[in-house]
Formats: sequence, C-alpha cells, structure tokens
Amino acid sequence: MAARLDSHAAFTRFQSEVTQRWDDLWADDRLVVSVGVDSASVPKGALAVLAACREATRGSDAVVRQVSGTGAMWADTAVEIKRPGQPPILYGSIAPDDVPALLAGDLQARAIGVRGPEAFGDIRPLDEHPFFKHQLRIVMADTGIIDPESIEDAIARGAYSSLAKVLFEMSPEEAIAEVTAAGLRGRGGAGFPAGIKWESGRKARVHPKYVVVNSHEGEPNVYKDRRIHEGDPHKILEGMLISSVVCGAERAYNYIGGEYPLAIQRFRKAVADAERLGLIGDNILGSGKNVEVRVLTGGGAYICGEGSALMYSIMGLRGQPRTKPPRSVEEGLWKRPTILNNTETLANVPAIIDRGGEWFSQIGTSKSAGTKMMTVQGPLKQVGLVEVRMGITLRTLVEEVWGGMRDGHEFRGIQTGGVSAGPLTEQQLGYPVDFDSMTEIGGMLGSGGFVVFDQHVCPVDFARYLMAFNRVESCSKCVPCRLGNPALVEVIDRIRLGGGSREDLSLMERTSKHIIELSLCGLGQVAPMPLLGMMKMYPESFTDHIERHVCEAGVCQIGSPALLAAAAD
Amino acid sequence: MAPAIAGPGGTEVEGAYGIDRADYTVDLDEVRQILSHFTYRDFQEAQELILSSLQEINEHFGWVSLPAADVVAEHFGTSASRIYGLLTFYADFRTEPRGKHFMLLCHGMACYVMGSQQLVQNLEDVWGITDGGTTADGELTVQVVNGCLGVCDRAPICKLDADFHGDLTVESLNDAIRGAIASRGSWRDAHHTPTGSNHGG
Repeated sequence: MAARLDSHAAFTRFQSEVTQRWDDLWADDRLVVSVGVDSASVPKGALAVLAACREATRGSDAVVRQVSGTGAMWADTAVEIKRPGQPPILYGSIAPDDVPALLAGDLQARAIGVRGPEAFGDIRPLDEHPFFKHQLRIVMADTGIIDPESIEDAIARGAYSSLAKVLFEMSPEEAIAEVTAAGLRGRGGAGFPAGIKWESGRKARVHPKYVVVNSHEGEPNVYKDRRIHEGDPHKILEGMLISSVVCGAERAYNYIGGEYPLAIQRFRKAVADAERLGLIGDNILGSGKNVEVRVLTGGGAYICGEGSALMYSIMGLRGQPRTKPPRSVEEGLWKRPTILNNTETLANVPAIIDRGGEWFSQIGTSKSAGTKMMTVQGPLKQVGLVEVRMGITLRTLVEEVWGGMRDGHEFRGIQTGGVSAGPLTEQQLGYPVDFDSMTEIGGMLGSGGFVVFDQHVCPVDFARYLMAFNRVESCSKCVPCRLGNPALVEVIDRIRLGGGSREDLSLMERTSKHIIELSLCGLGQVAPMPLLGMMKMYPESFTDHIERHVCEAGVCQIGSPALLAAAAD
Repeated sequence: MAPAIAGPGGTEVEGAYGIDRADYTVDLDEVRQILSHFTYRDFQEAQELILSSLQEINEHFGWVSLPAADVVAEHFGTSASRIYGLLTFYADFRTEPRGKHFMLLCHGMACYVMGSQQLVQNLEDVWGITDGGTTADGELTVQVVNGCLGVCDRAPICKLDADFHGDLTVESLNDAIRGAIASRGSWRDAHHTPTGSNHGG
C-alpha cells in the first residue's frame, strides 16, 4: 500500500501506477483466474472453489483472484478464466471438484460468455446472453471485475477520480447542478430527486451537518444494496464523500443491515484502505476538505429503513420514527441537518460527476432517469440481481432476463414494492418499470425487489404472510399500526381457515383505511397495501375461501376447528 | 422454559437444558474485554457504539445476559434499562441463551413463495419450537429471519451453525437438523467477523 496521497498530483500519479499494473495483468501471457465470492456464492462453496483454484495453480505464474459474483446467482459459483492469448471467459456452476477439469479446458459447455466485444470460437460475448443483454451497468460497472477488497483495482478502474474532480475542478454548486440535471431520484423507494435534497442540505446554515447512507435493506424481498457493498464498495464510499464535500458535511455514516457480514467486512476494508491513502479524513488529497466516515450496523429491525428511525438507531436508541416536519435535511441526526440517501443512489453519483448529468438523464425514461438495480425471487430459471434501464417492461425482465418460469411452475403473479404495495398479474407485464408507471397500476417500484409466485401460492395466505410481516415489524409507537395490523391478520386468518364472512372484506377495507390515514410513518401508511392489492387482483380467491370454503392452491387448512379456535384467541 | 437469570453482578444462570452449564454463563471479564475495543471520544460517539457493542457481545456469547447489559451500561455511562430496551426492540438480540445449535431459517419472500411456511410449521410440529425458541433438550435454537438471507435461487434456505442448506423440504430440513445434532459442532463454528469500533477498519 502506497503512502498517504497528499495532493491531486500524488493521486494522479498513484492512479497511473495502479492502472499500469491493472493493464499489465490482463496483457500478460499469464493465466488469470477470477472466482466470484459473495454472500450468494459462499453458501454454494465459492471459498472452496477459490482454494481449489489456488491449489491447482500452485507453483505456476498464474494469478488467482477473488472478485464478487456478477449478479447471476443462478450460475454460482462463477469463475472467469483468461488464458494466454484468449479473452476472459466466464464459466458458471463450478463446484470445487470441477476446478481441475475447468482449468484443463474440459468444461467449455459451462461457459456463459466472453467478457469483451467479440466471440471466442462458439462462445458468444457475455453481452449477448439473455441475462446480460438487457443490462446497462453503471453502479455494477466493475462488479465481478475488480477485487472488492483491493482499492488499487478500484482506482485502476476509475474510482475516486470523480471525488478528485469535485475537490479540485468543480465548485459544489456545479456538482449539485450535475446531479440535478441527471434527474437522479432516490433508489430506496420514495424516488425523491437527489439534487433537490443535496441543494437543501448545502443551503442549511446549521453546523455540523451529516451525510447518512441508508444501507439497511430490511425488506424480505430485496438483496441489492448488500451486493453493491460486496461487489464494489468504493462506488458507495466515493458517492458518500462527494455528497459530504458538496453539502459541507464533515462526517458521513453508512448504516448497514447487521445480517450482512460480508458486506460490512468489505465496506470496512474499503474505508480502511481509503483512509490510509488519504481519501478520507483530514485534508483529503491536500484539498483542505475533511470527511470522517463511520460504519454502523443495524440490529434486524425492518423499521430502521425509515429515515428518522434509522437516525435514532444510529444514536443508540430504539428505532422508532418521529413525526415530520422537521425533515431530516433540516433536523436529523443529532438534531443537525442530515442528507440521507439510499446506497444505490449514492453509488450512481461517481458516474454522473464523471460523465455529466446530461449523459445520465438520457438513460431510462424522461421522469425516471438512469438504471435501476432489480432483484427477483421465486421459481424462475435465472434468479439474480441485474441493473437495467428504467422503463424496461416487466415481461422482458421475467421472460428473458430472469429466464422465465422453471418447469412445473406456472406464473400467477408478481409482487412489487415488497411489503408496501400489491401484486401485478400476467395482463400487466407489459407495463414499463419506473417510479411512476408502476404506481398507476397498483404496484410500486420500491427498492426494485420483485417476487414471482406460481399456482402453489394462495393469494389469501400470501396476504397473511405480508401482513404478518407488518405486524411483527411494527415498531409499536403509534396505535393504528400497532393494533391495526394484528387486527387485519386476525381477520385474514378467519377467512383463510374458512370462518370468514363477506362482511370481513369490507371490515378489512375499513381497517386498512384507518391504518393508511392515521399511521405516523411512511411504513405504517402503506402497511395494508399488500392486502388491498391481493384483494383487488385475486377477489375470487377471497370469495372462494369465504363462500365455497375452498383454497384452490391447497395451502390453507380450511375448516380445521382447532386452528379456528387458535386463531380466535 | 427460559433459564432463570441471576441478579446484577452475578454470572450464574440456572435451569440449564441438560448440557454443559458453562455454555450458559456470560463471563463478564470477557464482556469487558470486548468493550475495551469500543473506545469513544465524546458523548455522541458513545451513543453510536452501544448497538455495535451489543451485536458483538450477542455474536460472541449467543445472547446478552442482564449482568452483561449492566456492564455495557456502565461502560457507556448509561442505564441498564436503556440497554435492555434495545435488546428487546431489535430482533437480532437474544436475552436467553442459544441452544447448542443455532438455525437461521429464512422466511423472506423468496422462501415464502417456495414453501417456507411449511418449514416454520414443521419446526413447531416436529421440534416443538417457534421463532426464537429452543428445544427442550437444549440442542437447537431457531430464529426465523424476516428479512432475506440473500441466497434466493436456492430458496427455501436455512443457515444451520456454519452451513447453508438450500432447496429445503420438510424432510431435508429435518435431516439437516438431525445431522447437526449428531455432529460434534455447534453454532460457535459459524464464521463471524468482529464488528470493532465504528471508525472504518
């Protein structure tokens, strides 16, 4: 590791050194083996694959590297191999025992594609594979390519050059203008324009100010933010630093869900390395600007994804939201102006500063610019994380990118917006995915987590599951949410077990209305949405349970007297 | 049955489930040792480190005892009731010991749509435990994960001690549990990255 970089020139020098080393790595006539290690591949033996690759190449001049997966979880563990005179080729579904055959070149059938523009023999470029074809990677541009624990790799691929630009070549106003021109909207779900938030943060006269990154990601339907941490933590860190510098904050916090040890470990490593290089701390690169970075971890409470709850959690209190105003940009952490952004939002910033707001605004749709990271769950062939342009249709995502339904599974619906919105059906798959279109039809982009479900899932039971989540995760501060959600679960249980009546349907609607209108925070205000959505999309399922005492999916134990009695308790 | 917890200052816990008593005591010197890594320069920083330190203690011992909570309160200059309030609010903290084996059963949406409800039900029917509970013989504690373990292509999935088990059915889940109980391992085998202080690395 180089010494602390104390000027712009020192940074540029270091940058050209590591870039040279990076180029040499790929230009050399050496075997380069890159194993995708992340929290999705480790459970499938990625660390053993990495060890097997090291073992198999011991004594040779081969380079065995750790990278993170490309998001193609269906192909874990993926290994990229660059042989002398060949382009890098990505292979999928590699087990530790496969390594000798893989290195011997006997597993060509497992090749997913070539990383590069041209085919190699009959192996097509990765960009032509259905999973990658529709992707445009800005946040994930270097994910699966760099070693996430190597700041040199990241800098060789351009990391921190946007920070240097903001420090030395742009005024804060110019930087904010780029973010505003980009039309970057908050990726956590609300879609609030980041430029406006930064502008308010910059104008706040109270000091000190703070920047907070919301990496809590407590939803049961999404796993994107932890993968940015695992794949390229420097994008987030650089975004945090840029945001801090332009808003005039001298301390930035990243609040990461405590359940994601690898994400935390890699982000901490990134912070430590950046500190050592002088990219964090006092007098960054000799610019006179100071930013301290702190990493905090959550304790498994969904509500801490809500802005004010998150800040209470950082302050060592129970994460319970407060009434607004004041908004956090006026009075947030430690009662100071706080600029709160989602992880993915900030991870987009380095590219916007580098290539300009105008460039970014041309991607996606006119009101939802850029790309969006999206995850899918359910019985699909190619489950994984992708980054696609806003405005792609759900059908393209489901049928092409994610490979369509697995055999024996029939598409029934797609739950959108996690526990905060309703499902969409087959007829609605043609709608574009962006902030506004989805809301119009009763869905929600939210944080980009989609859940496809099949004929084995009963909408009534699914509604129960979603409402039970909201019941458990209610922070209990306000009455409508604390009592309303359990009441809804109780009524759904009655229906689910065959004891419901038609009046229960209107009872659920009335109760939902109270929760929506009277709850204190944004999460409470949308808690009944999944139930209302299920009722709207699958009314026949509800009436089947009520009137015919039938659960088509065969999930609900209708008419069991013991269960009914237990539910009534 | 929850074991009785001794009063402040004590480390003894009674009512062990039939396995080594030593597993149920929280050595307060070890707690102090962990806390020594959580140094703070001012009031704000002290507050910010409380949750991280509790996470560290919870991971190390599998739970946070009341006497341990007292020590934490003392270290950060706050009250034990505040600490206990945090322990009971955040889902990750346990105020009772873990059994010998510890399972995180994912009940995120991927797992739900692939049938994890049956697995939750099976734990109750076959093993007599619900979320947070420990079997009567002290062998297994389960925590049902409301979030997402992030291995959604192998849903439904669980993490049992150090190992993940994917594409679970009721049968394979029960086999995995029996296998873990028959093995010599415990939840302590699981990989754990210490949290450390909040300044970067």
